[in-house]
Amino acid sequence: MIVSLRINGEEHLVDPYPDATLLDTLREDLGLTGSKKGCGTGDCGACTVLMDGRAVTSCLVLTATAEGKSITTIEGLSTGDEIHPIQQSFIDFGGVQCGYCTPGVIMMTAGLLADHPHPTEAEIRSGLAGNLCRCTGYSKIIDSVNAAALLMEEASE
Amino acid sequence: MTGVIGNRAARVGGVEIVTGNARYVGDLTFPDMLTGALLYPDLSPARILRIDATEARRLPGVVAVLTHADVPGLNRIAYSDVEDQPLLVSEFAQYQGDAIAAVAALDEASARAALAAIEVDLELLEGVFDPVEAMRPGARRVWPDRSNVHEHLVIERGDVEAGFATADVIIEGEYTTQLIEQAFLEPEGAVATLDADGAVVVYASCQSPHRDRRQIAVALGIPENRVRVITPYVGGAFGGKDEVHVQIHAALLAQATGRPVRLIRSREESIRTHVKRHPIRVRHKLGATNDGRITAIQVEAIGDTGPYVNAGEEVMSVLAATASGPYNIPAARIDAFTVLTHNPICGAMRGFGIPQGTFAGERQLDKLSRKLGIDPLELRLLNGLGTGTVLPTGAIIREGRPMKACLEGAADNSGWRERDDTQREPAPHLRRGWGLAATIFTVGFGRNVPDSAGVNLEMIPDGTAILRTGAADMGQGAHTALAQIAAEELGIELGAVRVVKPDTERTPDAGPASASRTTFVSGNATRRAAAVIRESLLEAAATLTGLPEGELHLGGGYVHATGERVTTVAEAAAAAKNANLPLHADGFYAMEFPEKYREGDYPYQHQVFTFGTQVARVLVDIETGRVTVEELTLAQDAGRVINPDGAMGQLEGGAAMGLGYALIEELKVVGGRTVNNSLESYLIPTSLDLPPMSVGLVEIPEPMAPFGAKGIGEATLTPTAPAIANAVADAVGASIDDLPLSPERVLAALEGGSS
Repeated sequence: MIVSLRINGEEHLVDPYPDATLLDTLREDLGLTGSKKGCGTGDCGACTVLMDGRAVTSCLVLTATAEGKSITTIEGLSTGDEIHPIQQSFIDFGGVQCGYCTPGVIMMTAGLLADHPHPTEAEIRSGLAGNLCRCTGYSKIIDSVNAAALLMEEASE
Repeated sequence: MTGVIGNRAARVGGVEIVTGNARYVGDLTFPDMLTGALLYPDLSPARILRIDATEARRLPGVVAVLTHADVPGLNRIAYSDVEDQPLLVSEFAQYQGDAIAAVAALDEASARAALAAIEVDLELLEGVFDPVEAMRPGARRVWPDRSNVHEHLVIERGDVEAGFATADVIIEGEYTTQLIEQAFLEPEGAVATLDADGAVVVYASCQSPHRDRRQIAVALGIPENRVRVITPYVGGAFGGKDEVHVQIHAALLAQATGRPVRLIRSREESIRTHVKRHPIRVRHKLGATNDGRITAIQVEAIGDTGPYVNAGEEVMSVLAATASGPYNIPAARIDAFTVLTHNPICGAMRGFGIPQGTFAGERQLDKLSRKLGIDPLELRLLNGLGTGTVLPTGAIIREGRPMKACLEGAADNSGWRERDDTQREPAPHLRRGWGLAATIFTVGFGRNVPDSAGVNLEMIPDGTAILRTGAADMGQGAHTALAQIAAEELGIELGAVRVVKPDTERTPDAGPASASRTTFVSGNATRRAAAVIRESLLEAAATLTGLPEGELHLGGGYVHATGERVTTVAEAAAAAKNANLPLHADGFYAMEFPEKYREGDYPYQHQVFTFGTQVARVLVDIETGRVTVEELTLAQDAGRVINPDGAMGQLEGGAAMGLGYALIEELKVVGGRTVNNSLESYLIPTSLDLPPMSVGLVEIPEPMAPFGAKGIGEATLTPTAPAIANAVADAVGASIDDLPLSPERVLAALEGGSS
């Protein structure tokens, strides 16, 4: 079965196994390995991508059901030569340690900031509650998200 | 000083990570790469009656199925002197994580089909699951020819009997801690390929690439120089990747098939197999005078290490060596037992025995405080060690000031002395309490254990540098810290240093990234390498500028003299090259023990320590038993901070792990098998579970350390659980001596009343 996906702005035709997940397709078929597999059961959030603008755990999405959807992965978050303000903030504010959760956390943040451009700390904490991080204790991640919100606000002014 | 050391530094490799370009082992692909998978037993412990892979080998897409008969070299994970764990089992499946067969197939589905087609007949055996029972004479044995008590070590100093005789009060307690899963976000994995000359190249998510190399070579039966281990980005480890996991199996499959093989564990397999934090029962007896001075302790620790020793002995050794805590205790006797069972294997996990011992010791201090009516802080200040204190191991504390500085720092920042007793019952069903815990932590492996590191540093005439280190960065920030040290010494910007990740053909052996040793040992090696190059740069700059070498300083990419920039480091480097001066150097450092060994010393004593204190404020719901940590205040001795962002991350992350240990984490075992093998059922703290943290760093430089910086990555989780437990006891007036502090335990303690 051929499935058409719009990934990071480009059309892709893929031919997945019926039980292939979007994460498998991204990683194994399209070589987009930025989305990570931490569990395969939707518990850790490391595979988070945007699907039609909404953050989803791609390990729980069957590729076949993503037909026609627009997918943004960590590789497509920044469109120009410069990295996205969220990415820059995670570097500048110590939001990255081992980095394995980071792509998922950043994509979840992108989804969160699209809905809540000025999130409260409580909104950030509940927004990221599905993204496990074993390294940071989350404080630096929260700082990074706050900084990203400010940077994006400045950029939009 | 150029100010690289001690200033915030962005993580080396951060850009690659945030853009998704960082390659972890599971992200690597090679032409013709096969998928590897391992078969684990459905029953354990069991005798293996038959393994038949005939059918599996015939399946389409299956390229190889290996069993114990197919291991060309030593069929053992040769971790230490005790080589008791087979790579592929033949006689017994001693625990749920034993590998029975290894498969390589064209794809995941074929590999899984092959696993299902391997016929295995197992005879379930009666298991040994209770370590205390296992120690009894006549108990059923885990191994027919070995005692269940693998090791009983004793540390004794002073006259313990006399110490208890002079005591006015005796506190006795029994404490248990639970089995804990590291839950690194990236499950273990390896990709093995063959070089053109047949040498085996293994990419592995690991902490100890050079030790892995030896183990792979021994198993494959080939010289060690025909094995190359490369460590790409590593997605967390926390001790769980210190030992080999699937590196050797992947290498065996690549050797057998002649093709690249990728072997990545699923989360379920990860939890099922790798070493965990030991559950330990600690019995603790403490004597003190009425004015609060501790006269003696007696500690007995029983650690359940599973069927294979792995690092069990070393974990129990470190527990024993630190069982007296950060205190001056004149007499101590410590007995530590490493006990074999059929439960999951335990070994290295962040903290390495110290969290368990600290939980018991710090609960004991709190009970003493309550009994004598002395404030917990004052009691710890009274007994706190100082410079010159001799530990039960015979180690002499060379710099004791950080211990009390941490106590005072945490007390001040938490408002400990201003605790408001009117706030103890904010609602009829809520009780508030405050708890404090102090710890000692060891840096390095200890005396009589090889503990060295090499690096290679190269200055390039354009002003940039390459640092080649065999020390793995699992997210703890080692590469950033080492790059900062190199940049500082060479007088260049941090961004001008490129770090080459561990690759046993390109980077020198730095030993395992464990024991909070990397900043210290590899950091010193980096300084030594840099010193050689620095000398070249200064000599060349002196010739270039005509100024005396003694007046020149390197920093920020420039050579300075009396505050003026006189040339650049790049020009000095180019001049050095033209003058035939060395611009690359190996640095080597081995841990030093300034105090000589004396009769009666514990042979594996440490001589570098860090100290820490944490204060927890909690709310306990006495109707539901639920504990909420309202605030954590951390004070940690770091010697000197190399990278504040990295240090803060270690502190906050450590406390988060400590909070999970205290309240929610427990890998449940029934009949030797874990039941919560997923991140849905094994819960680790989320962003909603953590309280505000106030973090303070105490900086009293350690003279032997690079720029004074000691390792802090493990120390930071140690005080958290006892601080929280002490706060719960303070809140409800009842004592809980078993981790985790689950609602059930809290309610039971409330019903049982004060202990």
